[in-house]
Amino acid sequence: MGDWEWPLILFTVLGQIAIGIIVMLWWLDRDRDHLDTQLFKQGVYVSGGLLILALLASLFHLGHPEVAYRALAHLGSSWLSREILLFLLTFLAWINLFWLSRRQTSSHPIGADAATITTAEIAAEGQQSGNRSLGLGITSVLGLLGIASSAMIYVLPRVPAWNNVGPVLFFLLTTGLLGALVTLVLGRKLLHPTQKKLLLQCSLGCTIASLLFYVIYASMLSASMEGATSLNFLLSSPLFWARALLGWFAPLLLLVSMLKNSQVAKTNLILTLTLFSVLGEVLGRALFYLSATGIQITALF
Amino acid sequence: MSKQLGFLHNSEKCVGCRGCEMACKNEYQIDAAPQWRKVFQLHEEDFSLPTRMFFSMACNHCAHPECLRVCPVEAYTKRDDGIVVHDPNRCIGCRLCTMACPYDRPQINSAKKKVEKCNLCYQRIDNGEQPACVAACIPGALELVEINDILDQKTGVLKTLPGLPSPKLTTPSIRFIGPKQGKQIRRD
Ligand code: SF4
Ligand code: SF4
Repeated sequence: MGDWEWPLILFTVLGQIAIGIIVMLWWLDRDRDHLDTQLFKQGVYVSGGLLILALLASLFHLGHPEVAYRALAHLGSSWLSREILLFLLTFLAWINLFWLSRRQTSSHPIGADAATITTAEIAAEGQQSGNRSLGLGITSVLGLLGIASSAMIYVLPRVPAWNNVGPVLFFLLTTGLLGALVTLVLGRKLLHPTQKKLLLQCSLGCTIASLLFYVIYASMLSASMEGATSLNFLLSSPLFWARALLGWFAPLLLLVSMLKNSQVAKTNLILTLTLFSVLGEVLGRALFYLSATGIQITALF
Repeated sequence: MSKQLGFLHNSEKCVGCRGCEMACKNEYQIDAAPQWRKVFQLHEEDFSLPTRMFFSMACNHCAHPECLRVCPVEAYTKRDDGIVVHDPNRCIGCRLCTMACPYDRPQINSAKKKVEKCNLCYQRIDNGEQPACVAACIPGALELVEINDILDQKTGVLKTLPGLPSPKLTTPSIRFIGPKQGKQIRRD
């Protein structure tokens, strides 16, 4: 059985929220001018802060963090090297976003007198939003590749519970789920109701997919002795049931009722939902490391 | 790679004295916890023999070493003679190799916060000597051999034993001579 790996839990979950926010901003920005400038700035600052925290947390996992830069040395075959490279590139792309956010002038308030907006202003704004969209796109793609590389580190032939598509799928679903919810929290006063609804639908989709894939994943685990050990550990752990309650069942109930009753604007509900989902994902990640059982020598010693 | 060196362990000769473990510790003055070499006892039910059988295992200098594949700092290299060498000076203590090796042979030294493992005494081999464990094995149960088809075609040479991970995972460079079906003395 694995250990309670706090640095890795924090690194992966915080990093995935950070990149999830950028992906959601990019998605909201797909129709130019629909992303509020204030939300863009807040999203960039929060995702940058989380990315820095995630990278710092990852250092605590190392025996010798002072020489962590060496981890870039084996790009040819080590997914850990590739992950570090992609996260560093994501951070560079984020610096560009930060720079863009500092230069971004606020969008015209809804209903502004069209006659007061000059052609030059329109052209400048078009250029700004084009750069913003490109910057968000590049950061998102690099970040998602970084997350896929993080997941690939765990695809080890020795660990049947990880040696499948599960880690990549679950890491990307966490990115979508928590990215959408944290963006919703940041933009609770700035987003249009339709945008809020879209983010809630995205969260619902990710939660349902996570639950369904987990059921399939769990049934696959029993195929090997080590996988069955992981599954038994999960099912007998109170943490797993807390994860199921906080990360799947409670969010599903809240999401369905919010979408059904058009309560997309209720701040308390959004905050409760996000808190449940973050706790659920943190517990899920802790269990991911705790339940890993490797193929090993079973002779006596 | 011109050849692949490895170990041949003969369970018929091994008496489980752990002399190889001690010789390894002595040679490298290894701290208490990491065990580069370890003697295991086969489960009786695995071999259906009413007797105690042992095998001794260190790093298997695999043909497809997972430790080398996953290590982000290239602390592992494979020499021309197939020995997988770990350089602790490069190690940053990420422990990924300890998760990847099915034999649990790279081990963390919690005082140094780095991983260590058997390097098949390559400096002794380069001087024409036997590895410390092989030299110390009194009944001659542990041998340094070249892993090749000639060895694999010999009668009684096994690629694995019950209780070991499938050799398909990393193609380990170790072979075994299993315990022979002995005479069972029955008193009824
Ligand atoms: S036994 Fe383990 S440490 Fe040794 S070469 Fe094979 S995978 Fe690497
Ligand atoms: S613990 Fe050291 S040797 Fe093992 S993978 Fe990490 S850096 Fe490489």
